[in-house]
Amino acid sequence: MKLRFFLALILVLATDVLHAQTQDVHQQQLTRFLSSPLPARTTADGSPSFYKPDSLYQYIDGAADVYLLYDFQSLLHQDLKNVTAQLTADIYEMKTPEDAFGMFSSERSPTYKFAAIGVEGYRSRGLLNFVQDRYYVKLTGSGTNSDLVLDQLANTLSQRIGGIRTLPALLRKLPQNNVVPHSQQYIRKDPLGHGFLSPAYVVSYGSVKQQSKLLISQALDASGAKGRIDQLAAHFKQTGQCASAPQLGSNGIQGKNSFEGSVIARTEGRYVILIMNPAPDGGEILKAVAKSLS
Amino acid sequence: MKDQRDWSRRDFIVKPVLWAGAASLLNRTNLLPESSPTPAAGALIERTLGKTGIRLPVVSMGVMNADVPGILRRSYELGIRHFDTAAVYQQGRNEEMVGNVIKELGIRDRVIISTKQVARNRFTDASEVKKRFISGVEASLQRLQMDHVDILYYHSVDSADAAKADGPLEALQTLKKAGKTRFVGISTHNTIEVLNAAIPLNFFDVTLVMLNYTMARDQQLLSTIERASKNGIGVVAMKTQAGGTVRPDPKLPKLLAPASQTALLKWALNHEFVTTAIPGFSTYEHLEQDFSVVRNLAYTEDEQRFLNDQTFVAEAEFCQQCGSCKDDCPKKADIPTMMRSHMYAVQYRNAALARETVVGISTGRGLDACKDCASCQISCRHDVKIARKIDELKNMTLLA
Repeated sequence: MKLRFFLALILVLATDVLHAQTQDVHQQQLTRFLSSPLPARTTADGSPSFYKPDSLYQYIDGAADVYLLYDFQSLLHQDLKNVTAQLTADIYEMKTPEDAFGMFSSERSPTYKFAAIGVEGYRSRGLLNFVQDRYYVKLTGSGTNSDLVLDQLANTLSQRIGGIRTLPALLRKLPQNNVVPHSQQYIRKDPLGHGFLSPAYVVSYGSVKQQSKLLISQALDASGAKGRIDQLAAHFKQTGQCASAPQLGSNGIQGKNSFEGSVIARTEGRYVILIMNPAPDGGEILKAVAKSLS
Repeated sequence: MKDQRDWSRRDFIVKPVLWAGAASLLNRTNLLPESSPTPAAGALIERTLGKTGIRLPVVSMGVMNADVPGILRRSYELGIRHFDTAAVYQQGRNEEMVGNVIKELGIRDRVIISTKQVARNRFTDASEVKKRFISGVEASLQRLQMDHVDILYYHSVDSADAAKADGPLEALQTLKKAGKTRFVGISTHNTIEVLNAAIPLNFFDVTLVMLNYTMARDQQLLSTIERASKNGIGVVAMKTQAGGTVRPDPKLPKLLAPASQTALLKWALNHEFVTTAIPGFSTYEHLEQDFSVVRNLAYTEDEQRFLNDQTFVAEAEFCQQCGSCKDDCPKKADIPTMMRSHMYAVQYRNAALARETVVGISTGRGLDACKDCASCQISCRHDVKIARKIDELKNMTLLA
C-alpha cells in the first residue's frame, strides 16, 4: 500500500515537472528574445505577462478570435523603459511562418510606412510591427527618441529570432509586375467573403485606389477546385450574372454583381485562380499565374 | 427519416399536434418566447434603441469578423443600417474598412456607426486613463474618417468596479459633450454584475450584451437585461449564435443545419427588450441567412424542431464562465478554462491547441488536479457536461 502511494506520488510529481517544463518551453523561448542586454540601455519595467490561446481574450478581447484562427500559440507582453522612453513589446508566437505572415497581413494596410525588417515590417509614430519566421512582433513606444529606440529594439529582436525572412513560397511565384506593394495576404477563413474558397492567397494589382485582386484558392485536388469554381459561378448567377469563358482556360468563367464588381476565374489543378475587377489584361495574368502554378 | 409523401393520415393529424404541444410547453416554460407579430409583407421589423430614439432593423452587422468591403456594401443593399466595429479589431483596419465603405457609398447620414474603446487596467490613475481613452477614440474617428460616431462603447467591462471607474466615465462624458459621439454605451460579458452596477448610474444610453439560446434558463440574466431596457438603456445583443455551427461533442455530426442559425437569431430577437442583434457574419452566404429573419421572427417548422430539441443546449454546452463550478470543486480546479480547452478541441477543431491550452493552466489547477478523481462530480447549472469533457481532455493529453 505504502509502495503504491509512493509510486503514485512520484508519478504525480513527475507529471508536474513535465507539465511545468512543457508549459515553460514557449515562455523560455520568448523570454530569451528580450533578455539583457537590450539596445539603448532598455530594461524591463516589471514582470512579463504570458498569454495562451485560452487566455488571449483577456488581453485583446474579441480580437483574439482572428489570432486563434491562425493557430496562435503564445504571447509575451513586456513593458520596457530607458532613461527617456517607455516601450511595450508583444511577441506573438504562431504555429508556422505562414500563419504568422497571415496574421500580420490581416492587420496591415498597403498605406502604412514599411520597414525592411524580417519578412516585412511597418512603422508609425510610436509603433513598429514586423513578422519573421513564426513570430509576429508588435512594439510601441512613447517619450523622447522612442522611435529610434523602437528601430534598434526591432533589429535586435530580428537578429535573435533568425529563421525565415521570406514571403510564403506560393506568393513568390506570382507575377510581380504591377503588384500593389505590401498587399500580399494568406487568408485562412472566408477569403473575399466566400467560405468555400478557404484557404487562399490574395494579392492586389494596380494602384491602391483602382486595383484588381488576384486570389488563389487552394483545394485538396482538381475535383475540389472544380467544385469551388462551380460555387463561385452559382453565387454570381444568383446575385448578378455569370457565363462560361473557355478563352480563359480550364473551367473559365466571367461574371459580375453590384457589390463585388466583375470577376474572371479558372482552375489549374487543385487551384482556383480568380481576379476581381480585372484590368484589360486580366485574362493574360490568369494564364500566367496558372502557368506558374502548373 | 420518412419522406413526407409516406405520411399516413394519422401522421398528418398527430405530428403537428405534438409539435404544437411541445412548442406550447416551451412557451409556458419561457424557453421559447412568443414570436413577435409578423409585420406587413416585405417590411423590415424595426425597434427603437432605448431612449436614443434611433430606429433600427432587428438585424445589424457585427463587422468584427469581416474584412471584405463587398459584404458591407451588400449588407447596406439588403437593408442593414447599423454597423458595429471596434478599435482593437484587426488593429484598426476594421474601422478603416468601415470608414472607406461608408464614405464610398455616401451614406453616413443613413447609418448608425458604433465603435468601442477599452480602458487598460494597468493605468490606475483616472486622469491618465481618461487621457488615453480619449486619445484612442480620436484615433478611431480618424480611421473611420468621421467626426463622430453614433454609439461609443466602453468596451469589455468585466466588473462592477470597472463599470463605475472614473477615468472611462469622464472620458465618455467629455467625448459626448464635444460631439464626438451621440450616445455612450457599455459592452460586457459579465452581464449581471456589470448591468446591476451600470443601471443606477443613469449614464449609459446603450448596452451590448451576450444573449443566446443556451442562456434560456437563466432568468436572472434575462430579467437583468430586461430591467436595463425598462430603464431606457437600448439593448444590442451579441454572441447570439452560441459558437456557430460546430458542436462541442466530437462524436456528434460536426455542423448544424442552416435552420439552427436562423432559429438561434430569432430566439434572441423574440425578446422585445432587444432592439437589434449584431451577428458577426463574414461571408455573403451567412449575411443572407442572418438577414432573412428581419421580416418575420416566427419560427419555421425546422427552426421550432431545432429549438424544441433540448439536446442542442446540452450539445452546445456553452460554458457561461460563471465560475460556480470552481467553488464547488474540492481541488479548486480551473474548470471554466478546461471547458474552453474542450471547445478548442471540438468547435475550433484543433486538438493540439486544446492540449496546449490545458497544459497552460496553473499547476495544480488543471488536469493534474483531476487526476485523483475517478470522475468529476461537479454539476453545471448550464448543462455543460463537465465530467465527460474532462475525461475527453484527459484522453487527448494521453494521446499527445
